[in-house]
Amino acid sequence: MGTQHTCRKELEEDADYFAVPGAHLYTVRHRVEEPVARVLLSGPFASERHYSYDPWVRWARYLAQRGVEVLRYDYRGVGESEGIFEETSFQQWSEDLQLLASWLKSRSPNLPLVLHGLETGALLAGLAFHAGVWDVLLLWSPPANANLALRPTLLRWVVADQLFKFGEDRRPASAYFQKMEEGSTIEVEGYRWSAKLWRDSHEVTLPLAMEDEDRARAIYHRPVRVVRLGKEAIPLIKGGHAVTNEPRNFTSLFAKNWGWLAGALAIDGGGVGESGN
Amino acid sequence: MSQVTETRELFTLNCQGAVLRGTFHKPPKDFPTTSSTGILSLAGFPMPRAGHGDAAVYWAASFANLGYPSFRIDLPGAGDSSADVPAELLQFINTGGHERVAAAAVKQLVERYNLSGVVILGHCAGAISAIFAAAICEECRGLILLDAPFHLPPAGRPKVRDALFHWSTRSRFGGLLSNIRDQIKKISLFLRRNAPPENTNFPLVKRWKDLASGGLPILLINAPPPKASGTKPRVGKFDYLRHILKLAGDRSRVDVSIIESAHHTFSDPAGRDAVRRQVEQWMPTFFPFENLEQATANFAQPMHSNNEADFSTRQSMFARVDATREVESLP
Repeated sequence: MGTQHTCRKELEEDADYFAVPGAHLYTVRHRVEEPVARVLLSGPFASERHYSYDPWVRWARYLAQRGVEVLRYDYRGVGESEGIFEETSFQQWSEDLQLLASWLKSRSPNLPLVLHGLETGALLAGLAFHAGVWDVLLLWSPPANANLALRPTLLRWVVADQLFKFGEDRRPASAYFQKMEEGSTIEVEGYRWSAKLWRDSHEVTLPLAMEDEDRARAIYHRPVRVVRLGKEAIPLIKGGHAVTNEPRNFTSLFAKNWGWLAGALAIDGGGVGESGN
Repeated sequence: MSQVTETRELFTLNCQGAVLRGTFHKPPKDFPTTSSTGILSLAGFPMPRAGHGDAAVYWAASFANLGYPSFRIDLPGAGDSSADVPAELLQFINTGGHERVAAAAVKQLVERYNLSGVVILGHCAGAISAIFAAAICEECRGLILLDAPFHLPPAGRPKVRDALFHWSTRSRFGGLLSNIRDQIKKISLFLRRNAPPENTNFPLVKRWKDLASGGLPILLINAPPPKASGTKPRVGKFDYLRHILKLAGDRSRVDVSIIESAHHTFSDPAGRDAVRRQVEQWMPTFFPFENLEQATANFAQPMHSNNEADFSTRQSMFARVDATREVESLP
């Protein structure tokens, strides 16, 4: 039976609350004694947070083992952060990310600052990168807009919600879409999605320059990488059976991305033997 | 950065070589009826301590507001905790892999927060760990079990089985075939004289029997699985609920609630509210705020006592709950 590895460095993690206007955000900082860079992880949306949590934490630990200090956090109204989900907005989540970025930058202004986003988090990361203080941007599976991240989550929920319902009791996914478009709030996997959230999600898109990596690098003059994750990355992305006892192996995914990141930061990317298991 | 807010506090426990992260939901300051019994929440697999849809956060905040210090922790292999655990985590949990670490966590919480004891609230796989831990933990004063599975996941080809299951739920013909299969399984169950199936989690059932028949206050809250009807399981399925209640015996202090409109995760508004209401009704029955010293003395007795006088004569009850209606007691 294999084990999930823990080394001493993984224990150097501080869980804290970060005060933002009207709430406290839950953060975990993976400390490194002499970091070569700092990275802010901007994770996936609402219920996706829970399914992807394990590999997301493993990725943070993987980076910390390689000398990169990591700060990950929960969005306002999600997970361990305070706030009421249905009362918050993409605008607020963007502003919170900027506040965390400023704090992280202030800790050591001379260190490279990396922003890494996953799915909806990649959209927020892209917008923050466009706005300024970052040196490197890594995006995993950004959708064209936030609505395209919400839809599959809703579809998964509809399938679960409609099990063994027949006839008039059975409603297609379009009925749920319509409800929100008519201004109603619906519940999806424990979160109340407001009509505003649904409407706004169409407007949350990557900056045009980031639709193509080469173009992004040319415009921003900073390293930008957009990675479309495949099935091997489940449950970092949606698909398959999120609840499974099959051990997942992320070694290859992590190594490839670390290779690029180390190159972007101009540091030696080799020499650490821990895996992404 | 701070580890404390007005209502919450982050903490770390070092248990059995693992570093466990947790969140403490504090009762309001100067609250007149704060209890010395805490509630510890263990989330289902593979959820971090916030639980499905952050339902565990909602419950912990609600119970703290009622006066019960409430805690949520990530057990090894989940959330922000850090430990060496087998890669086949679910199998590990099912066989009581978290037993000792969860019991150690309870003990540390009792010492650190000066509690008289802890009630463990576990959901699904968290309920399994709760039962195993309670069996070796004197500080555990009660259990709240949400959809506790008393069977191991069936062996076989899950992808094919899942595909067939989903097909059967989408088509009338598939539904018909599914019903026929249920009837065949019913006959098979009858021929086996309604004995527990091979994949029953027997070590878990044994611990349940010890705890329940020993008089530990237990609140069972279930959501009906697909094709179940009230307290009855799906046709052809072994009735674990009846079985474990029978094992618990007449002297047990087991209460059962079936929340009709809830999903297994209890994260939907109806499910999470019904769980909150059930727990808020149940906790003061066994862990009252008034006459705290007497209450503590009552429930500080050994869990496995065989002295009949130690236990109340309260009957196990069935309360079917439709979250949209009032609680309805069943005979």
